[in-house]
Amino acid sequence: MTHVQSTSPETRDGRRATEALGGARLVAPAVLLVLVVTGTALGAVVATSLGLLPLVGQPRLSVDGFTVVAGDLRAATQESLLIAATATLFAAVIGLAIATVVLRAGRGRRIVIVLTVVVLTVPHLVGAAATGLLLSDVGLLQRWTGIPATSWPELVGGRWPWATVLELAWKESSFVALVVIASAGRHYADLREVAAVLGAAPRAQWRRVLLPLSAPALASASLIVFVYSLGTYEVARLLGRAYPDPLPVMAYRLFTDIDVAARPQAAATAVVATGLALLSAVICLPLARRLGADR
Amino acid sequence: MRRHGPGPDAPRPRRTVVPALLVFWLVIPLTPLLMWATATRWSGVARLPQDFGLHGWQEALDAGVIAALVRSGLLGVAVALIATPLGVMAGRALGWRLLHRSALPSLVLLGPVVLAPFAVAMGLDVVILRLGVPGEIAVVLVLSVFALPYTTFTMRATYLGLDPALEEQARVLGATPGRARRRVTLPAASTGLVTATGLAFLVGWSDYVVTLLIGGGQIVTAPMLIGASAAGSGNDALTSTLAISVSLPPMLALGAFTYAVARRRRAAHS
Repeated sequence: MTHVQSTSPETRDGRRATEALGGARLVAPAVLLVLVVTGTALGAVVATSLGLLPLVGQPRLSVDGFTVVAGDLRAATQESLLIAATATLFAAVIGLAIATVVLRAGRGRRIVIVLTVVVLTVPHLVGAAATGLLLSDVGLLQRWTGIPATSWPELVGGRWPWATVLELAWKESSFVALVVIASAGRHYADLREVAAVLGAAPRAQWRRVLLPLSAPALASASLIVFVYSLGTYEVARLLGRAYPDPLPVMAYRLFTDIDVAARPQAAATAVVATGLALLSAVICLPLARRLGADR
Repeated sequence: MRRHGPGPDAPRPRRTVVPALLVFWLVIPLTPLLMWATATRWSGVARLPQDFGLHGWQEALDAGVIAALVRSGLLGVAVALIATPLGVMAGRALGWRLLHRSALPSLVLLGPVVLAPFAVAMGLDVVILRLGVPGEIAVVLVLSVFALPYTTFTMRATYLGLDPALEEQARVLGATPGRARRRVTLPAASTGLVTATGLAFLVGWSDYVVTLLIGGGQIVTAPMLIGASAAGSGNDALTSTLAISVSLPPMLALGAFTYAVARRRRAAHS
């Protein structure tokens, strides 16, 4: 979009150069803040993990921070990936279902959209506290179903991170739904009418119109949910088991350890978590972009 | 596209079942909060509380929920005061394509979405300890960075939908650049502006891990109280009332904003 019309090429080039300079000035403060804060923080995390920023004593380059807890790091990485992948899958499927109901303007549309927005405003910490009260062995579901506490499945703090996954999926399904609705909503109404006129059945309208239209937003929202779930602390802290704990919980545990020698290990855990998130973004971004380019 | 013959459009049960299941999915996790917040006694395996009352609310007041909510509010305001103006400026440059190459700044400004807040907070904590920077400033800075993607890309979308010619016309009519921005463009962008401010506020208001790591338990915001209560006390009534106290203000603000926007639209149409 350009607002320069019917001017000579020289004037236009001059205007563009001035605009670009103004544009650079406009983004500079935000870009600088992000670069300074995240650059300093991540630099310090990497330096700490390599023994170069010890809390006490002399700096000494070493990879002990990684090797001493290698086994725990592997288990925590597996736990984090399991939580993030399952939560993302649930959030994407349910988020798409919510978006479908809202975009098709069928029965229950209004209440579904209001509740979706309400869930989005609830902090994850509140969601985690509520999920605990719902799914624990003295929780609401156990009371309502009448299943004895001794036979109640270990949903909170059990062998499989059910409660953590369900809380993340619950909150993030509303995020996925709202992103898809905002991105596909505008075009869907028109295209759906065309599809209906051409004789497409509701199922074909969903598969051939709604799904391709939603795909780019669904892919980018899912990527955001995945990296968010990898890096979130409070949900797994309240709802997960003690061991193996996911990367953020492990990092916090080591960071607050009385033994300051655990600091490099905490930082190493943070480095692994950050590396995993960046790697997922690098792998998934081209896919999301390709889906968007196909539109 | 494959063509289907027009079939009988009979109402199918799935059209009711799916929305009903989704309503259940969205509502059920919040139900125990509402029930516990009104219960004074709910022991054993009883399906409903034995006694109703506002015991939990009294405990929340005793735990200092009002001061904690004020602190959370201040944190939200501080984050919004930094992240919103910066996001408006960056969003204007990106939305109106005022940059030759916008890919790199866009990537940098999206970056915080990928980073884990705990990792950034942990790294910064090491640095501020050496520099002697107060924890409050570090918390606000880190949270502003995490709010920037929301404010920037909300404002980018807003500016994309606004015609820059409007501001130019105001300047042709004699307005200074600043006046044209303030009196013409920003009012036209008000919905996006309020959304961006709200999102930035929410980042500060609902934060837990950054305040916990950098504040080291010294900055007692409302989420700190919830975390402490949910993790250790076993006092479900207190946890629920604290959780509701934190969730309600943003919901009410959102409701008021939605109502105001709907009213303005109706007024514009009539």
